[in-house]
Amino acid sequence: MESDHFHRNLHSEGSRQESPIRCIFLCEFHPTAGPIITCQVPENYISKELFDSVSVYIITKAELERSTITVTLSDCKILGFPVRIEDKKYARNAFHFNLCFVCDSTSRTVHYEPVVTKLSDYLMAMEIENSFLSSGSAPTKLTPILKQVLEDLNTKGECALTEGPIATHLKVVKVRSDPMAVADHQVPVFLKALPTQQWDLTTQQVAPYIDGFNHVARIAALADVENNLVKACVQNLVYYGVVALVPLFQYGNVYCTTSKLKFLMQDTDLQNRCLQYVAKTHRQLPNIRDVFRMYAAMTRGTTVRDLCTRFNPAALRVNERKLVQFGILEELIRRVNKYPVLLGENTELQKSFSGAASLDEICCSAGISAQQLEDHLERDHNVVLLWK
Amino acid sequence: MEVNPLSVILVKSDSKGDRLLFRYPYHEQENNEPSNTKRRNPYALSITEDLLQSPPPPASNISKGSLTGISDEVLSSLFAVKPELCNQKFELKVNDVRFVGHPTLLQLRSKSQDDSGLLLIHIVFALQALASHSVVKCYYDLSKRMGIALRHEEHRCGYISDQILTMVTIHDDSYTSNFEAAFKKILEKCTLAKNIKNVYDDLCSTGLVSIRINKWIPLSFCLPQKVHQWHLRGKIVEPEDIDRCLKALRPYHSLLLLYPVQQLYDFTSLDGSPSLLRMFSQYSPLKSLQTLAIDSDITLSHVFELTAHLVYWAKATVIYPICSTNKYVISPDAPLQLNSPLIDKFSEVFPNMNLLRIISDFSLPTSLGQKCNPLCQPSQQSQLVQMIIWMLQHHLLLQLHTYIQYIPTDNGFTQHNLNEIKVVHVTPMMQSNGLINSSSFSIPFKSASRTESESEASVVSETLEARPDSELTNHSMNLTNVSFSSADEEKQECQELLLDFPDEERNAIFKIPASSNSEDLNLFARLCRNGYFQGNHHIEEIMYLENLRRSQLLQLLDKFRDVLITYETEDPAIAMFFYST
Repeated sequence: MESDHFHRNLHSEGSRQESPIRCIFLCEFHPTAGPIITCQVPENYISKELFDSVSVYIITKAELERSTITVTLSDCKILGFPVRIEDKKYARNAFHFNLCFVCDSTSRTVHYEPVVTKLSDYLMAMEIENSFLSSGSAPTKLTPILKQVLEDLNTKGECALTEGPIATHLKVVKVRSDPMAVADHQVPVFLKALPTQQWDLTTQQVAPYIDGFNHVARIAALADVENNLVKACVQNLVYYGVVALVPLFQYGNVYCTTSKLKFLMQDTDLQNRCLQYVAKTHRQLPNIRDVFRMYAAMTRGTTVRDLCTRFNPAALRVNERKLVQFGILEELIRRVNKYPVLLGENTELQKSFSGAASLDEICCSAGISAQQLEDHLERDHNVVLLWK
Repeated sequence: MEVNPLSVILVKSDSKGDRLLFRYPYHEQENNEPSNTKRRNPYALSITEDLLQSPPPPASNISKGSLTGISDEVLSSLFAVKPELCNQKFELKVNDVRFVGHPTLLQLRSKSQDDSGLLLIHIVFALQALASHSVVKCYYDLSKRMGIALRHEEHRCGYISDQILTMVTIHDDSYTSNFEAAFKKILEKCTLAKNIKNVYDDLCSTGLVSIRINKWIPLSFCLPQKVHQWHLRGKIVEPEDIDRCLKALRPYHSLLLLYPVQQLYDFTSLDGSPSLLRMFSQYSPLKSLQTLAIDSDITLSHVFELTAHLVYWAKATVIYPICSTNKYVISPDAPLQLNSPLIDKFSEVFPNMNLLRIISDFSLPTSLGQKCNPLCQPSQQSQLVQMIIWMLQHHLLLQLHTYIQYIPTDNGFTQHNLNEIKVVHVTPMMQSNGLINSSSFSIPFKSASRTESESEASVVSETLEARPDSELTNHSMNLTNVSFSSADEEKQECQELLLDFPDEERNAIFKIPASSNSEDLNLFARLCRNGYFQGNHHIEEIMYLENLRRSQLLQLLDKFRDVLITYETEDPAIAMFFYST
């Protein structure tokens, strides 16, 4: 057994951050000198020695052309896209070049890949058009372009190049993880106002019905849009962080507190936002003690209905729906779902009561109310209800 | 799985040039499907504008979980790095494949000590580019360790020269086109190739590598992102998560082994730490780490280290010791379906028991004490404990702890209170030194919320008698120690006990009947000042740190329930094994 695991990774690097582009350079294969850097912004960022040690990954063998290649060194990361143009006019019947971005070695660079590819294609088009790169005057003409790209991408995240006969637009697009599939019984809530853009027709039609209380199937019915289109639209909005999905609100729902509840008292900003959000009217805000008490009372076995009878939220100036919604969005509380499992022999029913689907899902697909179903299940001794 | 390696590649580079010696898996895939690349129409005109309009889909070098599309010669030229890049991390990403390795430069045993005798040996792992940074780091570590072991074996007995010679000969003898036959022959003849195959197979199946290089140097390695899969399916445990859990480890926590102790004896190798064996012999999930340390006569810090080791290698997890007051609920992502293999596994261990029925009792927070009625037979009780241990081992149960939040007024508590707590901590210690005149330093610490005259007087006069016990370090303080002479004075003392609380809060506290009892009030004030009521400490932790009994604390919470709000949730320190927050 090795003993060095005790201290390994204790100094683990924090999550990789997105860093600015440190340098952009163009490298080409010179017919006599081999791989050289033709043009670099800023000057001398990549030293000759460093370049020589990695040139094999920049001017590559034919097999790796038109591949995005990233080489990570101890102090920088070079991202390139080797390109070759075949033509009899060149000294070796082909012109090799590679436009590379240089970033910090600890940063993520995946989101720059499409930009590098597109910029390479732009230069390739210019080269084919009027020998822009190979004519010898490349450094003088290319330097201002690269400078502009470097500055614009680092500050604005996008850049428009209108040099010469061809124009191109570059934009750094953040890579986000794929959103989960949207289910019928989930409720979309806007996290921020829908950006005023020309949204697609489905989104325009669906958006007015996203009020934080309608579930997906209901939105589809109200907006008169096909269910799967609504799901795709909501998923798209989730991807861009415009909406979040919360479980359907019912007075029979059960919630429990999470360990993040303490932040409600420790974080003044969160507290203020909470009071604003859960208030019944904005003229008079509820007080934090009541709000906290209500959250703290959410345990397994206590339904929202129970809470309402115990606290009478209206008198406390609290809107219980909003209270739950805020708690879910900030992860102060978590929904406790009930999963019915049929232990009997009935194979037909076991398909739906297998423990994989929650009561919500079953209700939504069968089209019955939760109360009805629960009453029904209670009578059957072969059904156990797991809360988790 | 994005943590599995796509391929393991062995490359050498010496005075005779670079060469790919072996890669595994080497089976060429049958290309049944038509290739993705569209056949170009030879008569089509190439239009430059099109180039910018419709970019082709990004190229991929992965097909069906293995590396494809890069020839051996190219791989070899990529991995035979320049001398400047040797003996450091090598990381190269080509399209959607990330190569990671540690190029190791070594001196051939048979050759003279000059450049001609230098050999570069590089074991490269091809991973999916999506693999996280920490996975890459682990693979780098593995490559580095293999490199070091190989360097040692070359130095000891020329192992690498031998192996390379055999591999190169087989390559040269075989037909140039038939790589597969050559690799197969190498795998039969070379122990190094067998090692590489074992590494690949182990990484893909369990994540635990245990090989002997040249039948001599043992190399064990654990890929935490993979090894925790067996008990936490579909969840990737990052080393960082484990570190976070281990940093939050407290002496009152307890170790829960995931395997029977007998099996773990096999896990420890011959030269394993003897203290580990000693700890196993005293192990019980009912013991806290502190007790375990005392029983096995190991220092607490070493027990922590052993725990960290076992947790990292997925042999154990951390829980709060099982006792009758622990409340458990079903963990939110417990895989409890009818077709779950856990159900059969459970009934194998506990015949005639149905996991789903047993666990459904934990739908509501349930403690062991609640489940055992006094009529319960001891054997039943021990079976219940065994079942709870089993369910904890499979992460089906989650323990709830009670946390306490101090909210004296409708608007919460004044944020300044926190600063003042610090002032209080500082004051008595400095005063007891008697070096600094109290009035001279209490003013700079003053917080703006309090009126100068009132608070200053209080700090000066009170701290010496009533507050020495507010020091955090004083665990063993005795409650009855606080001496109050007469009833009159007591009232006075009570009033003054809370002088560092803002007026509003003090009024709220004095409305509570229990505040007239100086003992209660004193305990309350002490716990409050020490910051136990901010939701950062659960009851068990307060009990441990302040040396209190549960009943004492629960009574206090009940008496002061108007200003103390309790809620139940899991201990975030050890909840990482349940679901990601």
